[in-house]
Amino acid sequence: MLNSKRVLTISGFMVVVGGLSAAFYNLLPTSRVHAADVKVADPTSVVMIVNRDSNDLAFMDIKTHKIVGKTFLGNNVNPHMVMMSPDGRYVVTGGTRANKAYIVDSHTLELVKVIPVGIAPEHLSFSPDSRWYYQGNPDGDSISVIDMQSMTMVKTITGLVEPLNITFTPDGSKAYVGNYGAHWVGVIDVRRHELMKKIYLSDFPGVAKLDPSRYLGGTKGINVGLFSPDGKYLYAADGDLGIVAVIDPREDKVIKTIRVGKDPWRIYMSHDGKYAITPNNGDETISIVDLKENKVAATLEAGPDMTGVNFAAGKAFVISSTSGYVYVYNMSTLRPGGRLKIGTNVQLETATTDVADQKLYLAESTTNSVVIIDARTEAIERVANVGLFPWGTHIMDSKDNYCH
Amino acid sequence: MRSVRHRDWRPVLRSVAIALTLAVTIPAVAGAQQVNTGDQSESRQELLDRIAQLEKRLGEVATAPQSNPEVLVAMAAPQAAPQQTPAMPPGMVMPPGTVMPQTGPSPGANPANPEGNPADSTNPQDLLDRIKVLEQRLKDLETSAVLSEPETRTKRVEVYVDPQGGVHDEPVPGARKTVTYQRERVYRRQTMSEQIEAALADADEHKVEVGVNAGIVAQFAVRTEGDPTPADNHSYELASADLFFTAGIAQNTLFFADLVGLGGTHPGYEIPTLTLINGYAARLQNQNQISVREAWLRTEVVGGKLALVAGRMDLTNYIDHNAAANDETSQFLSDALVNNPMLGLTENGIGFVSVYDPKNGFNFKFGFQQSDSNATSLNQSIFTMGEVGFVTRLPKTGEGNYRFWYRTDNASGTGNRYGFGTSIDQRLSPRITLFGRYGEAQAYVKSDSFYSGGLKFDNGLGFFPGDTWGLGYAQTQLQTSEKERVIEGFYNFSLTEKLKLTFHASHFLEMQQGGTKLGYLVPGVRLQANF
Repeated sequence: MLNSKRVLTISGFMVVVGGLSAAFYNLLPTSRVHAADVKVADPTSVVMIVNRDSNDLAFMDIKTHKIVGKTFLGNNVNPHMVMMSPDGRYVVTGGTRANKAYIVDSHTLELVKVIPVGIAPEHLSFSPDSRWYYQGNPDGDSISVIDMQSMTMVKTITGLVEPLNITFTPDGSKAYVGNYGAHWVGVIDVRRHELMKKIYLSDFPGVAKLDPSRYLGGTKGINVGLFSPDGKYLYAADGDLGIVAVIDPREDKVIKTIRVGKDPWRIYMSHDGKYAITPNNGDETISIVDLKENKVAATLEAGPDMTGVNFAAGKAFVISSTSGYVYVYNMSTLRPGGRLKIGTNVQLETATTDVADQKLYLAESTTNSVVIIDARTEAIERVANVGLFPWGTHIMDSKDNYCH
Repeated sequence: MRSVRHRDWRPVLRSVAIALTLAVTIPAVAGAQQVNTGDQSESRQELLDRIAQLEKRLGEVATAPQSNPEVLVAMAAPQAAPQQTPAMPPGMVMPPGTVMPQTGPSPGANPANPEGNPADSTNPQDLLDRIKVLEQRLKDLETSAVLSEPETRTKRVEVYVDPQGGVHDEPVPGARKTVTYQRERVYRRQTMSEQIEAALADADEHKVEVGVNAGIVAQFAVRTEGDPTPADNHSYELASADLFFTAGIAQNTLFFADLVGLGGTHPGYEIPTLTLINGYAARLQNQNQISVREAWLRTEVVGGKLALVAGRMDLTNYIDHNAAANDETSQFLSDALVNNPMLGLTENGIGFVSVYDPKNGFNFKFGFQQSDSNATSLNQSIFTMGEVGFVTRLPKTGEGNYRFWYRTDNASGTGNRYGFGTSIDQRLSPRITLFGRYGEAQAYVKSDSFYSGGLKFDNGLGFFPGDTWGLGYAQTQLQTSEKERVIEGFYNFSLTEKLKLTFHASHFLEMQQGGTKLGYLVPGVRLQANF
């Protein structure tokens, strides 16, 4: 009897506690954080793949080449470029057709924040301290500034013209913006998030007015400005002008222009700091620029529609997107080193290189796969079904993280 | 006797009553802090219902791919509110190397609601603001959206077929790998301009491409040495138009045809030179008539490393190439600075060439071509040629192309004769290219010989960025002691990508049999259009 009484008393107490719990439960805000499984313990251990048409990010283990997880972003998002924050906490992408930025937890792979940004967000960059996420909106001629601490968009930097890529200075005080719709490099004061200078690259030739179809038919300006590995100069290629401008970041002015091939797409820096390469889609060549002399060291035959250059094992790998080939160059002799056939009737996109400079991870959109190229042996391995229309890849701390 | 049951249930009932009271009262009190009356609760519910209704409608409209970029603009417009919010006070310096905390979610990070929708907010003003945004988005969409179907495309896929005919995406025991084609449909919002661009690109791939290369060359002849000839102080003009047709007819297979029409006069009619003064004249077979200059099929095999070309061709397009002196339409005009005369080819004809180019700097070419349009069989006037070429870099210079060729021919009708030569172009600097050719050809008694050399300047070493100019010298010596020395300079103004204007000046010194000399200065101008 005594036991029954105690049981009943306890039952009553539990009901009270339950009632109180129910009451307080209703008071709790909806921002409860659910514990989630950690899918990626080490952010440097995965290759991030941005899948444009399946609207997701896939994460592939570098060692096993298995997809360890995917983050679905939503229908018609069409993400463009993926990047991990330098501190390894978040993975972000811009949804080109959703006009939003997507922030994913790099360990749980959960989508933790969606932030409306400008029009058609594509390429992006992080400040070195991971505080600021600059999302370029080329169709909106703006950059959306996202504070990663509060996870809010704090400002929209306007006055740009089709901003394609953003490069922060190593100290994070300035950012340089390649304007593909113009022929100047924008300098952003990161403290104020304001455009503080437009660096004029070069005059147009006097005969430009005779060629309105070329110069008024569309602008092929500056894709990106990149620092030489020693941080001394910033290099920016201009498509219409066919030049590479050498910019002194101390004064933010052009100190030299280097004439390269026709319609250089952009510039890529070799990891040893000796050379840079511009793929010239106008004449299907590459120009190898000597960074010490600031002059063209070699102009070599390449392929059509080049979208990227990666460096590994002392070689340069130039992606010819529509031909299905990757052209190889020996960076010691500056001579051609053959070409790798990736496939027939395939569309190659962009690639990243692992931090050991041993392997390339190339997105091949038509077959929904990532092609892994061993830089030393040039052997090819294909990882299929990574998602629909893989558009680009990214590895944390890689020196070849870029997009087209 | 009091029932134990009766006595024990009292405290229980009391507890239940308290609990129920708390369970009902506390949430009610909490809710009452924001909505005090039943009417307010109903209003809040109405707002939530309205939000749900709008979101549903918005989802229906927005899920369909949008085809109008203006819609995207409109959708983005309401989202630009925080533009003026300063991120940091002016003048504040961001500490370099600041690292964010490594644990815990950032404020605003919520996997359950990444968009931060306030639909469940209890603040009526938040709800009204949300409704306003949604109504604006819906209005923008419904007034300007052009709906289209999801993107559909057909793909080549590899599948595995088991012995029972079952298809598998992954390998299964006993299954064979095969290739099939399958439709794929994706949710991709395309703009109208993208769709138009894709349609045009698709049409381009399937059409025959036509190109035109038209040139007008005016020249004037001034005698500088030797006896008077009819050419002295005469002027000449030659007009040429090439029509190119290119079509991709199969995988890695291309058809190309070049129809040329040529009319006018050139100095070669009146000045007896060993090589042509005007390289265009090499094309002239019949005045004012269209002739087929080239018509060939090209296919690539062995992973694109081996190209096979067959048809009517100009073998000098493959053998004896030179980056600085190879094209009478954009570089030197004198034929001695376009081709090596020791090749012996006089006109285009039926032929075949194979090019092995693994793109590693070395390439190998081998082919034959008939060079007599009056030949009655393929056995006559056949030139067989082979060439080895490679790219290298000499110290302190840029890249250089070095080519060595050998050929035999039966054009003389008295057995095979041979010839050999080399063609080199070496970049001395990014703007200066050195070029040279050498060749010997077996003749009746001894050999004929030829050499040429010069410099080409480009990459901005001129008035306009695309300008090129050059200086060249060529000497041809026949076994019969006839000799020709040619000097030419040209400046090519790149007016537009399609239009070029070139000024030439060349001097021909002919040392004829018997020791007589004849010299002519031939200035000229060339207008060349490519489109």
